[in-house]
Amino acid sequence: MAVRPVRTLLPALALLAACRSPAPAPPAVRYGQHVFAGGAAPAGVTLENPYRGDRASAAQGETIFGAMNCDGCHGGGAAGWVGPSLADGRWRFGGSDGAIFQSIYYGRPHGMPAYGGLLLSSDAVWKLVTYLQSLAPPADLPTEAWDTSAR
Amino acid sequence: MFLLALCAGALLRRAVAQDAQWTMPAKDYSATRYSGLTQITTANAARLRPVWTFSTGVLGGHEGQPLVVGHTMYVVTPYPNVLYAFDLTQDGYPLKWKYRPDVDPNAVGIACCDAINRGAFYAEGKVVYDLLDGRTVAIDAASGRELWQTKIADLAKGETTPVAAFVVKDRVIVGASGGEFGIHGWAKGLDLATGRIVWTAYNIGPDSLVLARPGTFRPFYDKGTDLALTSWPKDVWRRGGGPVWGWMSYDPSLDLVYYGVGNPGPYNPDQRVGDNKWTASVLARRPADGSLVWAYQFTPHDSWDYDANAEMILVDLTVKGRPRKALVHFDKNGFAYTLDRATGEVLSAEPFVEVNWARRVDLTTGRPVLDSTKLTGASRGNFKHICPTLEGGKTPAAPAAYSPRTGLFYVSTNNMCMDYLAAQATYIAGTPFIGAATPYHAGSRGDGNLGAFIAWDAGRGRRVWEIRERYPVWSGVLATGGDVVFYGTLDGWFKAVDARTGHLLWRFKVGSGVVGNPISFTGADGKQYVAVYAGIGGDWFLLAGDVRSDDPADVRPPADFSPDLARHTSQGGIVWLFGL
Repeated sequence: MAVRPVRTLLPALALLAACRSPAPAPPAVRYGQHVFAGGAAPAGVTLENPYRGDRASAAQGETIFGAMNCDGCHGGGAAGWVGPSLADGRWRFGGSDGAIFQSIYYGRPHGMPAYGGLLLSSDAVWKLVTYLQSLAPPADLPTEAWDTSAR
Repeated sequence: MFLLALCAGALLRRAVAQDAQWTMPAKDYSATRYSGLTQITTANAARLRPVWTFSTGVLGGHEGQPLVVGHTMYVVTPYPNVLYAFDLTQDGYPLKWKYRPDVDPNAVGIACCDAINRGAFYAEGKVVYDLLDGRTVAIDAASGRELWQTKIADLAKGETTPVAAFVVKDRVIVGASGGEFGIHGWAKGLDLATGRIVWTAYNIGPDSLVLARPGTFRPFYDKGTDLALTSWPKDVWRRGGGPVWGWMSYDPSLDLVYYGVGNPGPYNPDQRVGDNKWTASVLARRPADGSLVWAYQFTPHDSWDYDANAEMILVDLTVKGRPRKALVHFDKNGFAYTLDRATGEVLSAEPFVEVNWARRVDLTTGRPVLDSTKLTGASRGNFKHICPTLEGGKTPAAPAAYSPRTGLFYVSTNNMCMDYLAAQATYIAGTPFIGAATPYHAGSRGDGNLGAFIAWDAGRGRRVWEIRERYPVWSGVLATGGDVVFYGTLDGWFKAVDARTGHLLWRFKVGSGVVGNPISFTGADGKQYVAVYAGIGGDWFLLAGDVRSDDPADVRPPADFSPDLARHTSQGGIVWLFGL
């Protein structure tokens, strides 16, 4: 059927091989954006992206994005396909470092596969997070206009 | 003489009773989508008006069609696959019941192209359909009680099941999607009474898996054994795609079920040297045990994602002066094929849209004559302007109709071409296995219109008329005994046109783009009605990502080749009923 904008990069297998050693699973994240009943937050950690803003890591993350077939669902440039856009600065399951990390590492309902453990190490997931965070959403995102007479 | 008249009368009454209902996806086993009802005519269609609507509460692409059995209408929604039963004898058509299965939400992410469903089949008091997560269910048509459910497919392998189940005698025939997930495509035959899987027939692999049995399997063009194994590199066939997600048909006198097989995977053809049988093919099987009787491959070594899942319409035609038991098929690859449905011989193959990947189809070999400059592959570079696109000259999602009154086929078509950049794809179970980037643009025929609705003369292999549409035409078609033909558009118009001239008789804006298939039936009041779903989606959920408004965390730019579709439509599932 119809699947369009996809880019898959050759170093996939090399990356896979590099990620074969299972690392200890990361701890549970406390989601800062959740509502806490009674104002009381449960125990949990806040994860921080060790590569935030690092361009080399973002480039490596882009390679992983192709190699792991992320683009097959989220589209080229992560602009959205059968899976949601990851380039619009908006997040179904939270946009904090730890929330994005957990989405990739442990997966999400509605078909987001869990990549953590054997396929991707924590380090590789952080590089993916860095790549996604490097995608700058357009400034006028909320409004899509066709009638230009009001401009 | 008297006996003859009596028989004719009984036949006529049975035909009329059949036309009052719509009990299977394509109306009849021949897949004509033709209703003999005659109350709505070219003279009065302008007076059509909406008489009833129902919101399904679901936003996914509303492909498929309702069923009407007696005076009950059945509607299956896209995921989460709710089944509604409406009482057409009561004022306002209230629900008799609804059935809400517990469908695995992970199926939504494994379905390649929106969480659609292509509808149900009614047989022997049961409504039979597929849940997206790989199960077939049979529901008691009177009570809504679940009679059985059978797991037929495995999400972990990339299999999902939007296909409409197809019932022949005591067999329920089903298939799976996943041509973009490296599945090993198959069809299965279930026992209608219990749901037990009686046979599994793979589309790819050794004869033992394909159910190509000595003495039974006689393809018209190919000779030898294990054709679906030797036309692949070693072990590549095990994840070679070949999904079954389109429409089926059945010839009772030949006892053959026909279905089309989808694309080989991945889209990068370098990774699967050979013809890749039986992908992009039509297969003819015995329903009782699944035995393969003949097979024909429309697109050998498919290098353009030309799935062959479109309907196989079974009609008797005069081809080159000879009456033939024909099978007519409008393929994604842009050719309209007329085959002998007993043998699989190609009688004619003519382009029904702009085609440049092949020059023609050689009728002595059955093979397309390729244009080598359009033969894609990761090692061969970026190819420009291949026609049609991988959406097809016609999408298999939108089945055509045939009117025995006019002898014409009515076909929703696309006027688009693509570039094709293939790349090495890596197989990871449960994730996409694709390997190509293929941007689209308008075809060179026309005035920038991306679609057209056409009438096609299959005997002569030519267009009789066409209606240009600004967007690709993605709805199925209904032809009627009143010589009125119905279809819908992506920008949300439902239209009635004159079957002989294509003259527009009536149109109505139905609230969302139409990707479903209209049907017709006789109401409890004896009047003719037409029903259709509105609810854009399917591939257009992907291609026009800006037609959704339900998820604040998913905001996308418009498709560059179709920048303003979202100006005219948004998602939303509605059942519409029209009458005079």
